[in-house]
Amino acid sequence: MLFNSYPFILLFLPVVLAGYFWLGRRSNLTPVIWLALASIAFYAIGSWQFVALLLLSIAFNYGVGHLLIVAKLTTSQRKAALALGVVGDLLVLGIFKYAGFATENINALFGTHFAVHILLPVGISFYTFTQIAFLVDAYRGQVAAYALPHYALFVTYFPHLIAGPILHHKDMIPQFERAESKHPDAHLILCGIIIFAIGLFKKTCLADGIQPLVALAFEARSPSFDQAWLGALAYTFQLYFDFSGYSDMAIGISLMFGIFLPVNFNSPYKATSIVDFWRRWHMTLSQFLRDYLYIPLGGNRRGRVMRYVNLLITMLLGGLWHGAAWTFVIWGALHGAYLCINHAFNALVPNIPSTAEVPARIAGALLTFLAVVVAWVFFRAASVEWALRVLHAMADPSNIVFGREEIAALVMVAIYAALVWLAPNTQGLMGYDHGSRRVGEALRAGRMRPLVLYAASLVLAFGILGIQSHSEFIYFRF
Amino acid sequence: MRGTFTHLRRLLLASIVCVLGAAALTYAVDPLQLFRPSRLAFYSDDTRVQNAGLIRSQSYDTAFMGTSLAIHFRQSDIDRVLGVHSLKLAMTGSNSRQQTFVLEQAIARGAKRVVWEMDDFIFVDAADIETDPYLSVDLYRRTTKGIASYLFSAAMAKESLFALLRSIPPLQGPLTRAAPYLPVKFALADVDDIYALPRDFDVARDYNARKALASFAYITAPSRRRFLGEGYGYDAMVRHFEQDAIGLITRHPGVSFDIYFPPYSILQFVAMRDASPGTLKIVTDLTAVIAQRLTQLPNVRLHDFRAIKDVTHDLNNYGDVIHHSPVIDAKVLSWLKSGEYRVNPEAPLASLDALKAQVEAYRVER
Repeated sequence: MLFNSYPFILLFLPVVLAGYFWLGRRSNLTPVIWLALASIAFYAIGSWQFVALLLLSIAFNYGVGHLLIVAKLTTSQRKAALALGVVGDLLVLGIFKYAGFATENINALFGTHFAVHILLPVGISFYTFTQIAFLVDAYRGQVAAYALPHYALFVTYFPHLIAGPILHHKDMIPQFERAESKHPDAHLILCGIIIFAIGLFKKTCLADGIQPLVALAFEARSPSFDQAWLGALAYTFQLYFDFSGYSDMAIGISLMFGIFLPVNFNSPYKATSIVDFWRRWHMTLSQFLRDYLYIPLGGNRRGRVMRYVNLLITMLLGGLWHGAAWTFVIWGALHGAYLCINHAFNALVPNIPSTAEVPARIAGALLTFLAVVVAWVFFRAASVEWALRVLHAMADPSNIVFGREEIAALVMVAIYAALVWLAPNTQGLMGYDHGSRRVGEALRAGRMRPLVLYAASLVLAFGILGIQSHSEFIYFRF
Repeated sequence: MRGTFTHLRRLLLASIVCVLGAAALTYAVDPLQLFRPSRLAFYSDDTRVQNAGLIRSQSYDTAFMGTSLAIHFRQSDIDRVLGVHSLKLAMTGSNSRQQTFVLEQAIARGAKRVVWEMDDFIFVDAADIETDPYLSVDLYRRTTKGIASYLFSAAMAKESLFALLRSIPPLQGPLTRAAPYLPVKFALADVDDIYALPRDFDVARDYNARKALASFAYITAPSRRRFLGEGYGYDAMVRHFEQDAIGLITRHPGVSFDIYFPPYSILQFVAMRDASPGTLKIVTDLTAVIAQRLTQLPNVRLHDFRAIKDVTHDLNNYGDVIHHSPVIDAKVLSWLKSGEYRVNPEAPLASLDALKAQVEAYRVER
């Protein structure tokens, strides 16, 4: 089921909200069970064939986690239990996500003709990662025993299940346990609807609006210089509005239930360096990779060279997490290399004179944006060969078309660039603070209330009017 | 708490008002001319949507159908050469099911003659038109669902707002001139300009032997040659032809059909010969059936331009292996007018046999 669909907005969400608050008047546990069941139904509507796998995964991880938390195991037994859990998770992910890719490469290497056709279960990368984090924390002794319904809801919680944000049990389960969240809070519902509306508008009007321009670069056999750049920039903006729109919708929906989700985007294209970019783009994935991959690998504790090696490994695996294809591996490798260069530069030039600070920040922002756009070409292209063709066109200014279509595309790209660079982001607009569980304080205080309300109603209206019958989120396939 | 619930109600009510306002604006402006024709209307290159409005708002006696091979024709040229009052309904990448459906609508609204550019590949994939995601049958039929999807649409509200602004006298000139360069769909002031190439178009830059040969090399590369015959299946294609083309023609015996096989470059067939001979056999066998069947129908004139060596062997006429230049568009119209390459019902396979011989003899100069 899609957030940007009439059945979800007009039927599923109101029914689940009503049931949640109605049950919340009677008990603290039944709304959690209701929400977990609703989440499974949400998943089943689009991917019924993978519901059993999702439930098995929950049961397996809950069982292993329970062993680590409750059972009196020796150190080696605990290690073995953790290994069992993590290997089990990765094995399932490997089979469903990477078996086809591995087979293709074996065929290419050895001239064999093995064929593997396995459908990718929606959301498997997201729910596998959240549960690995749970197991690792359980092993570290950082997890209290959770009740099964709360754990099941933590994994299946429908606002995040399919495309994140990647949740952390320590953040979510205490919120599920709170009795207050089961009673309707009009302020949170109002703010939730406004954040949802912004996300919906980003998706249906902005991301879907610019999507046709992407074909200029990625569906043309030999794009010209301007077509390649316009297509690459269009994809850069489409991906941002698509994914950050989804994250906003997830945050908004969750807020209606009184649950605060972590922020996933913080104006990433305003980043002044690649390090800064990764603090702003898909933030929950960056945090996950940092805490459960980069730091366990040694992080920056084993010297500069090992730091760069660890960064490269982390980003390569981060790339592979996005999809089983060499294009994603190259995308990850590029970002790994960018990060190494960025850290090396910081080590070589630790201080910039105050007079050069502003120009340096502008230059840094431009360079970062350019590097990100180049990497997105690999992320979007159907093959490495196709990506190289687009990049080759982007580097060949002798071939320019700049006809009517390209001028119209340039106007559109310029509008989107202005939005990305000049407009505030959703959490800035709404005063959303995940850490302190506060949102819309200015709205509550009454400042600008009518203007905000009517602007939000227009955004919601256009978000709904923009719904098309065939529009999926890009991150659904990861 | 009560105050916040009031705000919540106000937000939802205001949103409903905005939605209804946007729908009212689209209904009043009607950029697609679905409800009423307008002298002030502008037109869009999105032909699968635009055709729904054109069929209802334009006056015509002839419908012109085809794929991207027929997309650059100008209605004014068709009218001038063939002496008709035409409506161009060609759609890039369209299949036989979509073409038949649109033609059926045009015939129902008064078309007495159909000029149909017929590619073999339109019969490859003919998905159920009722669930076709790329062509809204509800919009064409003006069902409640179709009208709702038209009125309750942010894209159409945006187009309507732009059309409204463009109708304000001080803005009229500048916005009309700027429209083709702005991100609006309904940007063309003249219906004749839909997908037509500009009058000052540099033909030699976009149609030349270098491009045609590069395209040939691309599609015959070992890594891509399997795509040449992707989806081709003789039985299914014959079935689609019978159901779509023959079905439409026999349902409308009072409508005359001028159907033509377009003049692809010889490289199209040579590519199949060299890289996918099975596909070439399917194409020749299928078009043999098409020629035999169509020439037996009293309301059909079939023209075969595929073996006109002067054109198809001159690679400077092509932008790739199939798409010919506007110069050839003009020739196609003159051939249709003269009937010079009309297939003789007594020898329906003669031109196909000539084509086969040409394909066999052709050697690619690289």
